[in-house]
Amino acid sequence: MATKRTAKEILTAYNGPKLRIMEVCGTHTHEIFRQGVRKLLPENIELISGPGCPVCVTPVGFIDEAIYLALEKNVTVCTFGDLVRVPGTQSSLAGARAQGAKVQVVYSPLDAVTYAKEHPEQQVVFLSVGFETTTPASCLAVEQAKEQGLENFSLLTANKTMPSAYHALKDSVDVYLYPGHVNAITGTALVESLVEEGISGVVTGFTAKELMTALAVAVVKAQEGKPFFVNCYPRVVTHEGSPEAQKLVTRFMEPCDTEWRGLGVIPQSGMRLREEFSAFDARKKFDIPPITGRANPACRCGEVLQGKCKSTDCPLFGTVCTPLHPVGACMVSNEGACSAYYQYGM
Amino acid sequence: MNNTVTLAHGAGGKQTSELIDRVFKAHFDNPYLTADDAAVLDAPKGKIAMTTDGFIVSPAFFPGGNIGKLSICGTVNDLACMGAQPLYLSCAFVIEEGFPMDKLEEIAAAMAKTAAEAGVRIVSGDTKVAGKGQVDGVFITTTGVGQILDGVQTSGADARPGDAIIVTGDVGRHGCTILLARDEFGIEADVTSDCAPLWGTVNAVLNTTKQVHVIRDATRGGVGTVLYEIAGQSNVGVKLDSAAIPVAPEVKGVCGMLGLEPLYLACEGRLVIVAPREEAEKIVKTLRQCPYSGNAAIIGEITDEQPGRVVMTTEIGAQTLLPQPGGELLPRIC
Repeated sequence: MATKRTAKEILTAYNGPKLRIMEVCGTHTHEIFRQGVRKLLPENIELISGPGCPVCVTPVGFIDEAIYLALEKNVTVCTFGDLVRVPGTQSSLAGARAQGAKVQVVYSPLDAVTYAKEHPEQQVVFLSVGFETTTPASCLAVEQAKEQGLENFSLLTANKTMPSAYHALKDSVDVYLYPGHVNAITGTALVESLVEEGISGVVTGFTAKELMTALAVAVVKAQEGKPFFVNCYPRVVTHEGSPEAQKLVTRFMEPCDTEWRGLGVIPQSGMRLREEFSAFDARKKFDIPPITGRANPACRCGEVLQGKCKSTDCPLFGTVCTPLHPVGACMVSNEGACSAYYQYGM
Repeated sequence: MNNTVTLAHGAGGKQTSELIDRVFKAHFDNPYLTADDAAVLDAPKGKIAMTTDGFIVSPAFFPGGNIGKLSICGTVNDLACMGAQPLYLSCAFVIEEGFPMDKLEEIAAAMAKTAAEAGVRIVSGDTKVAGKGQVDGVFITTTGVGQILDGVQTSGADARPGDAIIVTGDVGRHGCTILLARDEFGIEADVTSDCAPLWGTVNAVLNTTKQVHVIRDATRGGVGTVLYEIAGQSNVGVKLDSAAIPVAPEVKGVCGMLGLEPLYLACEGRLVIVAPREEAEKIVKTLRQCPYSGNAAIIGEITDEQPGRVVMTTEIGAQTLLPQPGGELLPRIC
């Protein structure tokens, strides 16, 4: 009879071939570092911090577009706080603010709608970044602005969807820890179907116990030698997900090609507003010219996001690039791999 | 008298006297507080401690206290941390024109009540009124003098390997309360500030044992910042057991949602005490009988490993560095 083992025992005892597990979600990355999960794992289990931190995958050009709006079009930019310090080609939004740009930190797209309503004399643009978890709120914001007849509110979209990234990165990864919050919205049908393409993964929650359990399940199933899918977060994630949120997004947005920092353009991995909502699309409304951003060539965030190098391999890490003076996006957000490496002293 | 504070109340004339009489003298009355230019005091024996602190908290009224209570607690607690019994306080107000008089009374009443509890007298004060928009509501500065108890010596540089680290209650309440009171996050939770005067608590501990190496109040920057300061000043390592750190479930919940570390949220009624291991249980027992430290706990120890660093044993048994906080902590929390 098999004896019961704890997740920790299963993980520390693993002595099979090298296993590359990618935690896709930035919140997972942060929690893994905070709990010291990596320190308990044997050398042959490698955790890779994937592209699931919305700030980290936002390309330089997007920041340039936002700065263009703020400085050239005199627009008030409403944004989540993390984006303010992300470097664009020349400067960050914080730098633009010092030059007189109006940059307003908000905690939700709906706050930006409220701001627009209270400031009818200003044109307000919300920087709509994020994955399946935050996109519905941006759509809700457009819905509210439309209902209230606001003509001074629009979105600069850089919304992304996860599944295309799973395909793009599959050669660097043996098992994905799927982001529980994203799957709570999308359901699991899509990631279940990835098994047929040979892509394995485990839907994972966010507490220490949930992370350890998901990792142990990943290790046990990987040793069986065939692709697999397991939902280790069933108290939140269902097969169907949230039909309301899905409907909302489909009504307002459609897939498009989009650039990911470090990964390049991934076809149909982005979301943009549909034609009928053009009045709320800042790119069209303000006729933003094509802007190609240029990242600092020494920054290796792109490779970090693909698991091709560790944060500490980057020549800028901890010297030129620190959380107070970030060069790359992965050092800005609390959920970024470089920031986690720096803060937790790995 | 008007219902709001006007510039005339700060001009030094009749209205100033009225304001002082009606609001401040009425609440702070004691033999040392006179109409003269300075208070004349009895000099205490031995060493005295002196400290000053400015208070600009926004909002000025929050669950569990207001800026008045806070302005007494902050200074009383700084004195207490040096083993000094608070004796005298001065207070200086900068009030925004148009500030409601009843709110000012409420603040003065809270100051009087808290000072009485701490056994300290408000012996001198100043009132200025600034034009609309030049200050936000009311700012208060308090300065305090206390008498250091015989045989007590505490300093952030005195922590020694082997010492136990004690916190006097659950951490992060004040910071969490202010965060929610600003109403910026749309989160509602039943959290009240831990704001409290702690001389009674310190006195009880020092009556139990004089063998106390460090006492610090964890205000801005929270317990985490205090521990890093002690690690640096004493050139020692700090080892924490995350499971032993008391955090109220509602504070934990809010921190989880906002991605904050409770150890870095401000407290206004919590002490970090470092004392020899053999004294620690006794101290905790005493603390648990005091009104503001019912859930005091030993949360870790001082080591000679990794000097200057704070290392935490996490709930899965791994050891990680407690990350040092970055630039932007919450502004105007005290």
